[in-house]
Amino acid sequence: MNAFLSLVNRNNKVFRRDKTQVFFSLLSVIIVVALYAIFLQKMQIDRLEQIAMATPEMVTMVNEWLVAGLLSMIAVTSTLAAFGIAVKDIETKATADFLTAPVSRSTIQFSYVANAFLIGLVFSFTALIGCEIFIVATGGNLLGFAEFAKVFAILLLSVSLASVFNLFLVLFVRTQNSFSTLGTLVGTVLGFLCGVYVPVGVLPGFAQNLVMYFPISHTTVLLREAFMQNSFATVFDSVPAADVEAYKLNYGVVYDINGHLLSSSMSIIIILVTIVVLSVLSIMIFKKKNK
Amino acid sequence: MTIAIQVKNLRKQYGEHEAVKGISFEVKKGELLAFLGANGAGKSTTIEILCTLLKKTSGTVNINGFTLDAKNDNADIRKSIGVVFQQSLLDERLTVYENIMHRGKTYGLTKTELTANYQFVSTYLHLEDIEKKKYGTLSGGQKRRADIARALIHKPQILFLDEPTTGLDPQTRQFVWQAIKKLQQETNMTIFLTTHYMEEAAVAHHVIVLKKGQIVAQGTPDALKTTYAYDQMTLVFQNEKDGEKWLLENELTYTEKQGIYTIKVDSTLHALTLLKKAEPLLVSFEVIKGTMDDVFIHIMEDGGAA
Repeated sequence: MNAFLSLVNRNNKVFRRDKTQVFFSLLSVIIVVALYAIFLQKMQIDRLEQIAMATPEMVTMVNEWLVAGLLSMIAVTSTLAAFGIAVKDIETKATADFLTAPVSRSTIQFSYVANAFLIGLVFSFTALIGCEIFIVATGGNLLGFAEFAKVFAILLLSVSLASVFNLFLVLFVRTQNSFSTLGTLVGTVLGFLCGVYVPVGVLPGFAQNLVMYFPISHTTVLLREAFMQNSFATVFDSVPAADVEAYKLNYGVVYDINGHLLSSSMSIIIILVTIVVLSVLSIMIFKKKNK
Repeated sequence: MTIAIQVKNLRKQYGEHEAVKGISFEVKKGELLAFLGANGAGKSTTIEILCTLLKKTSGTVNINGFTLDAKNDNADIRKSIGVVFQQSLLDERLTVYENIMHRGKTYGLTKTELTANYQFVSTYLHLEDIEKKKYGTLSGGQKRRADIARALIHKPQILFLDEPTTGLDPQTRQFVWQAIKKLQQETNMTIFLTTHYMEEAAVAHHVIVLKKGQIVAQGTPDALKTTYAYDQMTLVFQNEKDGEKWLLENELTYTEKQGIYTIKVDSTLHALTLLKKAEPLLVSFEVIKGTMDDVFIHIMEDGGAA
């Protein structure tokens, strides 16, 4: 246990002191914020004005939509960046040095996962605080206690999923070069697969399915629902139910799979099942690799 | 004297290729063993197997009374060995102190034990001036000191050093080498060293030469020198024809290159008696003492007497 904690602590220090690594893990998030400031926010409000009255609450609601997407992305990019240490240790043979001490390969591997989880939590909660400041500063309200608890729980789930998801990906990576390619790929694809760069409704049919079957995008859906709940009531006060549903489907606040609206609990189940499946697969691949 | 490392018929197969072909040897406790061999001879493979990093194909290995790959024994082996790798493997952004303490904790030592051990290695390797510096900012020699300190933090009984002085400037090499020697003498630690520098092998208690996965020669440096190295003398004659005639008259076998004749001599005194006779014919001469380099080169050339 002592050895494990020491390894996690070491991984954490190594990550924190690599400032460029920290910056690059936030790059795709910075891109989202920039895209949003340039045109995404305006585009959404223009659309919304066609079905509802333009109010300050509408801006808040759109901001909340962004914040939800951003938080689900940050969990993935930060945990992935944290796994960079694992790849580097293999490539530089630092792993061999650790193995001359009485620790097992799985302890070492698990220390990377634990570190990624911790880094993911720290980044997610720091981002949450930043997002709340942004929402309040632009005229919105702080999350209530119940919503906050909900967001907190979703973030835990989201960071767990992201840690396991990235662990799985990193098992196929041997060099730092391919790792940075993976980072670019994930950073780019993620924004689309979570419906953050472009709303789901705008995508062609097959791409919409891709998004809806992508487990991580379910954390985005859950977060949107949690963040936007209160704003819906005020913004869509006198808007026909059909228009509201159309908006929700278009902007990925709720998913429609084969004509069925997906409930939050269904999304949670999808996330949990993915975590279990990817964990089992990762353990199997890890064992096979180190036979 | 007790045995620290015992290897019997060790083999390692990579697919079709056999990297280590059934080697056997022993290292006594407190001994400094030099493990020599050209690149690809199987040195690193052997060292990795002994350090539990690589699975052997067959054979038995006993380290400090523990049997390699026997149930639970590998952890005990790891506790009793320290390894200095060819490359520098500590974390660049961590200070020397942080690096050593983090890795020390993976041995399950208590905080007091760890602090005491740190004091011990710090005095041996003079870490005071570098312990607060980031490892990545250190010079090659400073890094090596930190690497060795890391390998010693749990006070192992056996220290493995895989080409510890390769790539260092002569002065630093000297320093690192002194530290290793001092450690060996004062703590009676068993040291298993692979090296390319023959002058380092010359001060070992025992030398093993590996070629293509097999031990081709072993013994004390003196014994090896007696068998494989000989003193040589080069001669340059005023007239090559007279010179060759003289060599034949004295029944000396020679090799000739660009007018320089090389002959084997039994000793420097033997050279002197020959020189006295040849003096009128000579332009210049040189007597070359046999070294560990010759041992290595000769073994590699003729394959040695296994």
